[in-house]
Amino acid sequence: MGTAAAAVVLAGSALAVLRTRGYRVGPEVRLVGMSPWQFVVVEHAARRIAAPDREGDASIPTADGLDVAGFVDAWVVRLPSRAQRDLGRFLAYLEHVAPLGAGFASRFTRLGPGAQDRVLEGLERSPHDLLRAGFDGLKALVFAGYYRDARTWGLLGYDGPLVGRPPQGWR
Amino acid sequence: MTGGVVRGREMQEDLVLKVDAVVVGTGAGGSMALRELARAGLDVVALEEGAYLAPRDFDQREDRMLPLLLQDAGGRATEDMAIRVLQGRAVGGSTVHNTNLCKRTPDAILELWARKHGVAGAGSRDLLPAFEAVERDLSVSEIDAAMRNANNDVLKRGCEALGWRGGALRHNRVGCQQSGFCELGCAYDAKENALKVLVPQAVAAGARVYADVHVTAILHAAGRATGVSAVAVDAAGRPRARVQVWAPVVVLAASAVGSAALARRSGLPDPHGRLGRGLRLHPGAAVAGRFDGAIDGWRGIPQSYECTEHLSHEEGSERRVWIVPAFAHPVGAAATLPGFGAAHMAAMRSYPNLAVLTAMVHDETSGEVDVDEAGPVLRYVMTEADRRQLARGLAAGARILLAAGAREVTIPAIPPVRVTRSSELDALDLSVLRPHSVPLTAVHPMGTMRMGEDPAVSVVRSTGEHHQVRGLFVADGSLFPTSIGVPPQVSIYAFALHLAPHMVERAGER
Repeated sequence: MGTAAAAVVLAGSALAVLRTRGYRVGPEVRLVGMSPWQFVVVEHAARRIAAPDREGDASIPTADGLDVAGFVDAWVVRLPSRAQRDLGRFLAYLEHVAPLGAGFASRFTRLGPGAQDRVLEGLERSPHDLLRAGFDGLKALVFAGYYRDARTWGLLGYDGPLVGRPPQGWR
Repeated sequence: MTGGVVRGREMQEDLVLKVDAVVVGTGAGGSMALRELARAGLDVVALEEGAYLAPRDFDQREDRMLPLLLQDAGGRATEDMAIRVLQGRAVGGSTVHNTNLCKRTPDAILELWARKHGVAGAGSRDLLPAFEAVERDLSVSEIDAAMRNANNDVLKRGCEALGWRGGALRHNRVGCQQSGFCELGCAYDAKENALKVLVPQAVAAGARVYADVHVTAILHAAGRATGVSAVAVDAAGRPRARVQVWAPVVVLAASAVGSAALARRSGLPDPHGRLGRGLRLHPGAAVAGRFDGAIDGWRGIPQSYECTEHLSHEEGSERRVWIVPAFAHPVGAAATLPGFGAAHMAAMRSYPNLAVLTAMVHDETSGEVDVDEAGPVLRYVMTEADRRQLARGLAAGARILLAAGAREVTIPAIPPVRVTRSSELDALDLSVLRPHSVPLTAVHPMGTMRMGEDPAVSVVRSTGEHHQVRGLFVADGSLFPTSIGVPPQVSIYAFALHLAPHMVERAGER
């Protein structure tokens, strides 16, 4: 990681510590691996990372409908402490610092979908190795939560596991 | 002695054992050492930090199997997060999730080790009996052409069109159902691996295996191994009971990452600073081709054909990439395809029409396994020479896909490289592809406790025994002084078998 990147990630972490209030999760959500603010950031990011390619097509499962953020929350506890720490820092950066780099003076979770896409594109193509790696890690977690679900397999023409496959196939 | 397997997650009390030998890890090396020690009539136990699983546990679901079968839930990576490192953690180790490829250590590699790395008694002739025995034990055979799936057919067709060298691979499967879920454990018990073959043979010979037991320290005093300390954990990884095993012989077989990390944590003597150094990974990256017709690459045996046109094991070779198919199930595929959002989903809709190859580098980069309070730390930054090899391999993979009829080929870089004609590759400077701009994966860590006769440049002797700690042996990929440039499972099984008589001799000295 470059010194500059390290500095901004650390700055993001410090900001996150100071600005973690005002994030609400639903009463049905019982977090085991993330804090409420982290969960909300992942919810927002998941909606964009797993955004549908056909607007208004109700047959495409949504990240919210598949509880992708809940999946990520449960997965995080299985990660080594170092990875948990890095993910937390990256989420703080995404929420508080990355929007500035994309020209937005607002938290990521308060931006509209188009602006959020620009922030995520900026991270995906960042000149800083660690930020790209952070984006890749978040993307992998989100897609693990999305494409693990049999309801998405029809999109791909994937017929899924043979073990436990229902007679009518996975739906 | 009555052998058996105990699940640490069910242990109620602390355990103290006094035995002839203790083996740390039950992958290819550990299971072989365990069996040989047990067959020699010794009282031997193995401690395995992963779970003891049966075919009924392998439900072919990525979200459930990956955290069960892989270290760090599949999230292990180099310190700079440039390379994802997939390693097994279960009784049977990485042989539970690997794709069953069986290749012997190349003669050129063994010759190099003897000539430049001071390895004695491990030439081709020395190891021949071990290779033959391993291949017999594991029922190794060439994969029948009728079992080659469409993704592998693409590789074969492309190689033939280009006039490049390729061939059928060998594997250790019997009764394969060609389901295509090898990397998630075999639900049909068709893998002739450590879990199915060697651990039961060891148990039949009287060995005891403790699953869910994480070894925390190698015990040693006055230049002799005395045992290990460990902790049994429940399914969530919480400590459940303490385990202490006293033994004059300790066999480290916890992988080139796990063994080196444990050795460092245990404060083993390391007068020449060699412990943990020399890490090789065989890093690889994927290239995907989109075809008009269906490939359905997730079906059938994942890897049955290889391209060796760009691979030579001779020292100093500028051809150091091995090309094989590498199709992933949806979770893995989605993580690798470039981009996100609507464009990514549109690309995923081409999933049945994709063929995917990987270029694996027979690497010269020398990394390091260190350890901190959170666990192993893998430091590995690819050299420019290895990056060039990676670029060469990706370009070659792209040419193969195009020659086989792909409409478009994508190298999932940032930004993605997309070509539709081979001539476009001529103008492409793929050396711009660097770690962090291409998803890199490694599944073959090696070389962190290398063998050799000179203690100044090696950690263990050619017998596998530690230079400074009598009775401490290594029996995994840590031993290898260099990359071997082929999948390592047969080499690890064979070296463990080859070195086992030295372990038996030491354990019998009391």
